[in-house]
Amino acid sequence: MRRIIDSDIIAFMARIILAGIFILAAYYKIVDPAAFGTSIWNYHILPTQTINIIALVLPWLEILAGIALLVGAYYRGAILWINIMLVVFITALASTIYRGLDIDCGCFKAAASAVGPAWDQLNLDIGLLALALFLLVSRARKWQLANLL
Amino acid sequence: MNMLRQAFVLLFFASILGFGVNSFHPHAIPLVGEYRELTDGSEPIVPPSASAGDPPFIAINEARSDYEAGSSLFIDARDPSEFDCGTIPGSINMPFEYLPEDSLEPYLDSVLSGAAKEQGLIVFCSGEECDVSLHLARNLQAFGYTGVKIFFGGAREWENFELEIERRVDCAE
Repeated sequence: MRRIIDSDIIAFMARIILAGIFILAAYYKIVDPAAFGTSIWNYHILPTQTINIIALVLPWLEILAGIALLVGAYYRGAILWINIMLVVFITALASTIYRGLDIDCGCFKAAASAVGPAWDQLNLDIGLLALALFLLVSRARKWQLANLL
Repeated sequence: MNMLRQAFVLLFFASILGFGVNSFHPHAIPLVGEYRELTDGSEPIVPPSASAGDPPFIAINEARSDYEAGSSLFIDARDPSEFDCGTIPGSINMPFEYLPEDSLEPYLDSVLSGAAKEQGLIVFCSGEECDVSLHLARNLQAFGYTGVKIFFGGAREWENFELEIERRVDCAE
């Protein structure tokens, strides 16, 4: 079991998948921060004063964590953030499903559309969290920039 | 500890980039946005573009009680594609953008199935981000309909209050 968890190939694949998805997800939020702010507001979870600050910082945190994960620098910090973000996203999505809100999740694009496929996104995020938790416990350290420095 | 330090460094640079890029962004946003706090549904949402002679604006609570009483016709002023994606159940679609200017009166009469001019009509669109409900309501008022009311919270506020939405098309992406 430990051999699988510490597999360099599996860890590297997980890094590529997570980094790719986080960087892609961030792009649309950076292009249209106002629409992303509205997406956050639609969840009705956060105080309205904090929404724009989160709308501005969160996409860059996704990008930096994605890049750090991919290249293997600030690796542990990136894994921690990706786990935290995924837990937050899953909690927020689950709360919309529980409350019956049918909103655009703002996950991969900022602008709100008519319907958000919250269940699909929730399932994807749970899968991604499994990968992120795997990286959290894995001791695989191959193909990381930090090794070269 | 190393993990927390790295996480802090990433957050620090994300903040610098987030606020820095925003200051040059063509669609920059203020640090504190003007988002409306959720209400208890008793106060109507009135847009800044409203003027004195407009039909009355109603709150979600009034729209809901009219809906439950069946006393008013609900009119969705959005495009058919948006109407199909999700609207208040039983609504009539009257897309403001496609109103026939030359034959508006017979069109209104036909879509409303010859409803009396005093008939309660509740006009709405998506919500605060659209104002076609206001424009359509003004048209209806101009053609003598006296029971027109505007539910400016629209389909989104209806959803936010966890009321039923009718979907003709699955618009999930």
